Amino acid sequence: MRWRYLGRKVGWALVTLVFVLVFNFFLFRIMPGDPAGLLARSQRLTEAEVAEQRALFGLDESLLNQFGTYLKQTLSGNLGTSYLTGQPVVDTITSRLWPTILLVGVGTIIAIVLGLMMGIRGAWTRGSRFDKSSLYGSLTLYSTPEGWLGMMLLIIFAGTLGWFPVGGYDSGTGDTGIAHVVDVLNHLVLPAATLALGYGASYMIVMRSSLIEVKDEDFVATARAKGLTETMIRRKHAVPNAFLPSFTLIVLSFGFVIGGAIVIETIFSYPGIGQLTYQAIDAYDYPVLQGVFLVSSLAVVVANLFADITYGFLDPRISEV
Amino acid sequence: MTDTAVAKQPVPTARQLVWRRRRQAVARNWLLYRHNRQGIVGLGVMVFFIVLALVSPLLVSPADIEPATAQGIPNSPPYSGYPLGTDNFGRSVLDLVIVGSRISLLVGITATLVAVFLGATIGVISGYYGGTRLDTGLNAVTNWFLVIPWLVLAIVLSAILGASVWIIIVVIGVTSWAQPARLIRAQALSVRERPYVERARVLGCSDRTIVARHILPNVAPVIFANAILTVAVAILTETTLSILGLGDATAISWGVVIEQAFSAGAMTNGYWWWLVPPGVAIVCVTLAFTMCGYALDEVLNPKLRR
Amino acid sequence: MQRNARRLIAASAAVLIATLGLPLATTSAEESSAPSVLRVGVPNDLTSANPMSLRSGSDWNVATIQYDMMWMFGNDDLSAQPGLAESCDPNEDKTEWTCTFRDDVLWSDGEPFTSQDVAFTFQLIIDQGISTYSGYFTPTTTFETPDDTTLIWKSETPTNAPLVPPWIYIIPEHVWGQYADGEKVELKGVENIPSVTTGPFTLTEVNRGQNWTLEKNPNYWGDEPNFDEIRFQLYTNQDAMAQALKNGEIDVATYFETSLLPSLESDPDITVQRNVSDWWLNLAFNFGGQGPNSDPLPALQDKTVRTAIAMAIDKQGIVDKAYNGAATPGTSLIREVPAQWHYDVPEEDLIPFDPDAANAMLDDAGYKRGDGGVRVDPATGDPLVIRMPISQETGGALTAGQLIVGYLDEIGVEVKIFPVNEGKMYSYWNQGDWDAYIWYWTGEPDPDYQLSTLDSKQCGNLSDGCWSNPQYDALFAQQEKIVDPEERQPVVYDALALSYEEVPSIALAYPNNVEAYRNDLVTNFTPVPGDNGYLIPNYNNIGMVTVQPASGADSAANSSSTGMPAWAWGAIGAAIVLGVVLVARRGRRADDDEG
Repeated sequence: MRWRYLGRKVGWALVTLVFVLVFNFFLFRIMPGDPAGLLARSQRLTEAEVAEQRALFGLDESLLNQFGTYLKQTLSGNLGTSYLTGQPVVDTITSRLWPTILLVGVGTIIAIVLGLMMGIRGAWTRGSRFDKSSLYGSLTLYSTPEGWLGMMLLIIFAGTLGWFPVGGYDSGTGDTGIAHVVDVLNHLVLPAATLALGYGASYMIVMRSSLIEVKDEDFVATARAKGLTETMIRRKHAVPNAFLPSFTLIVLSFGFVIGGAIVIETIFSYPGIGQLTYQAIDAYDYPVLQGVFLVSSLAVVVANLFADITYGFLDPRISEV
Repeated sequence: MTDTAVAKQPVPTARQLVWRRRRQAVARNWLLYRHNRQGIVGLGVMVFFIVLALVSPLLVSPADIEPATAQGIPNSPPYSGYPLGTDNFGRSVLDLVIVGSRISLLVGITATLVAVFLGATIGVISGYYGGTRLDTGLNAVTNWFLVIPWLVLAIVLSAILGASVWIIIVVIGVTSWAQPARLIRAQALSVRERPYVERARVLGCSDRTIVARHILPNVAPVIFANAILTVAVAILTETTLSILGLGDATAISWGVVIEQAFSAGAMTNGYWWWLVPPGVAIVCVTLAFTMCGYALDEVLNPKLRR
Repeated sequence: MQRNARRLIAASAAVLIATLGLPLATTSAEESSAPSVLRVGVPNDLTSANPMSLRSGSDWNVATIQYDMMWMFGNDDLSAQPGLAESCDPNEDKTEWTCTFRDDVLWSDGEPFTSQDVAFTFQLIIDQGISTYSGYFTPTTTFETPDDTTLIWKSETPTNAPLVPPWIYIIPEHVWGQYADGEKVELKGVENIPSVTTGPFTLTEVNRGQNWTLEKNPNYWGDEPNFDEIRFQLYTNQDAMAQALKNGEIDVATYFETSLLPSLESDPDITVQRNVSDWWLNLAFNFGGQGPNSDPLPALQDKTVRTAIAMAIDKQGIVDKAYNGAATPGTSLIREVPAQWHYDVPEEDLIPFDPDAANAMLDDAGYKRGDGGVRVDPATGDPLVIRMPISQETGGALTAGQLIVGYLDEIGVEVKIFPVNEGKMYSYWNQGDWDAYIWYWTGEPDPDYQLSTLDSKQCGNLSDGCWSNPQYDALFAQQEKIVDPEERQPVVYDALALSYEEVPSIALAYPNNVEAYRNDLVTNFTPVPGDNGYLIPNYNNIGMVTVQPASGADSAANSSSTGMPAWAWGAIGAAIVLGVVLVARRGRRADDDEG
């Protein structure tokens, strides 16, 4: 039974990826204007030079031929060449992967831990002062545009107070060892806090409402009738059941987190995928944009598959369907 | 619900009965809603900003927000006549925030209409034909749109298509219909199984009639509550796009004001009066829509009620 | 359980407070033997370290620091000065030039530099059609190198190119020779790090999106630089760059937004340098004749309309509002630098800012106001509505456009602006469906290139709007033939005066580039050209040789960075571990209780 569930989920992930591949190709061919014209940024090119540029990037071939080349290249791990730098897109993206993984990873972990803990406490003590203040605090943070939140943190903690650096991944002083780790952590604080505050708030809201729904269900009443302590009920029965839907939502929000990273990295000059995307947008570097979209879709699809599988194994009701 | 015929005719027709029942349901829900404090506060703030957006042309004359004709001292902190200071053109930031409410709300609400229209159409069709191949296909597309990093997609799309308010509306609409579609499909699926829908089908009603008469009215509350929440997300998305410089620089929205303040060095030069108000306005409006949405959810979903 | 939960919350709150609230302390102690580093902040990334495909401002800066041209731009007036080349002499009809090069130059890897390297570089550019540089060569150009110090430059048609001087960075044949026969796209991607150069520094490390480092070239033929390394740090956010300069995290920064001037100028430790930018802001009219969708507003063919528009635009207003005063109002095609080619329009010929006179001019010419106060072209009956794309990426362009909408409203001309990116600007230009646009121009110190942009032969090539004026074409052709600068100057001025008076385009502003450095940390830059020149090399690399640490600059202060010290992070780590242990123990106890 479980294997069939697993197979279906993997199959669906593969179909999604094929969709992404096709979509990704056409998305970047429907745009108005001439991509070769965009290459004329630093000097205005003549017609002949533009034609040459088109040939160089294969833009003069038929759409079908281009699609064939694209599929063949993408599947063999070649995402093309950056219009801007002339470097392979794969290298460009991998060189920027680590800062984003660090930022999104640390930010999301803090968001999940804090968000879930506060959500559980809030739901369990529904109506208490803690619940109310944390709920309204979360709603406010959830309603705050990330970019603006980042600017505010930057203005207060880096500008006025001068506690943390204004941006970047490190100071670039060539330090090594502990000094370097500390330097990187100090640079991480503000961007990660921006990310964690925004998403922690929405995780708190989600966890709170799903726990409130579960709280009134029969099995909780049964457990209470059995004479279990409140802690027991919460830890063993209510939270595990409420956790699953929250978990799915958290994974679903992953696509949003990646988008949010673009803004945060831009504001904090953080040299990750988000900043790369911003630079690529600025320079109309379509191969890089295409690559970023592909990679982030891949990340989200894999995260979802992971969530589905975990869900399936944790919740017996699902896998038996 | 603009029905006035009831009073004139002593014997209500079936149709009038239906409307009367619906009106009663709305009244009942309103009663519940009224007792929800966060819902009422949210509604108040929401109405305030919508009214502000509607009357903003009366409050601010075009010459005051025209860069060439603005009269204030550029980049000045608050002074008399300019309670929130000025921007680099000498325009009053208060004026900008008032005028900005128009575009921000326009984008938020119109994009939501696009998203909800798409979502409702696909969701209802998919749910009504649940189990068929059509449903499987539509559901796959919906799930796919749920899974892809849609904010990245919105950023890429608006970068490609260029900056204009209408393009941004379409981009936000197209990238955020999947969530409503899924909710509505689930609701439509469950409504479909109800006895009276069965009865209508047996009585020979066409699919269109069933959808219009029975499915849509029943999923309408869900659509509505969801739409309110979607407005909040749409406003935030517009802000994000604007902050990245992908907004329509010729149409003043709150996001565009933030972006202009930011790129004019508001942070370094300490022009807090320029950067803070539009952000606060966004937080207020988004929070208002969110609170309304949650309050509606609680009213419509008995499980969440206390 | 309540107590435990509280403890957990308290622990996590402690983490949060520690994260957000702990006071600053400076980290990292610097050992005294460390190399001296000049730390430079820039807002745009190094897109290419390849001198054959330079794009961003940073690319040009880095190439200029590392590589030499055959001549060197002079410090004061950007005239050709001896560098790698010592002399170049033409034959009678300027079809053959004999150039002599220094014999004591080594590449940074120790190989000797020869005239073959120069010939190789030029030939590579011709063979690969590298458009940034290929304009210097006529189609019939060939090179010969009879010995290691001599280059013979031949062209069947007369040329002045060897003396212009060609702005081409010379690369070593023994490193780049392998790419000579390759694909252009392949050549574009070549980085060759560490680079092999003849200049004072070589590029040794590139972390895109973060920083890139140049180290002193041990074999440099000129004076020894005072700094051992130059490290560029990227700030995609300008505020961050200003803040970093104030905190002393960098010594100098360039390409500042003019909006940051108030904050920079208020800091006594910071010296602000305003350069005459190497680009300027231009409003061009479309005269038609180019592009498949060409349909420019016919009224713009009328010089009266164009002059009235020029009179209605408050250039000082644009300078003040779009550039915060850090610019000069534009006049003709060539900005104040280099001074010998800038035409100072005489007072009596200046088109004044005078909306009333502009209105009167249009009234007299029969352009009566119609619906909504918009004037109507008497010839066609169409209202004067100008579709104006604006290059959004060009600094100040959008603001200038917004201002112009208001200015022209005063004279009954309606302007519809379309802020677009470079690619769409190109596509507008290419399609021809625009009436006027705001874009920038940038060129080389020699006036030939800039003047050519209004030559009618450049329609579809360099020309903005295909303006055509036989008198101008004749002047352009005439100045091209004169080598002697003194003789050439009056002809160039005549061409500039004509193009100013006829208003085929309006030079809106010559913006300043803003650089700033910490005067307590570094000193002795050499601005090029002249006192208002660039500190971070844009034309030649002398500034990077002369710059030195300021006397009394503390090397410890040199590496200050903000943030929490290591022990605070250690405490946070410990708190997290403690929290996890607590939760785990509680979980076990709960299991025991139930079991």
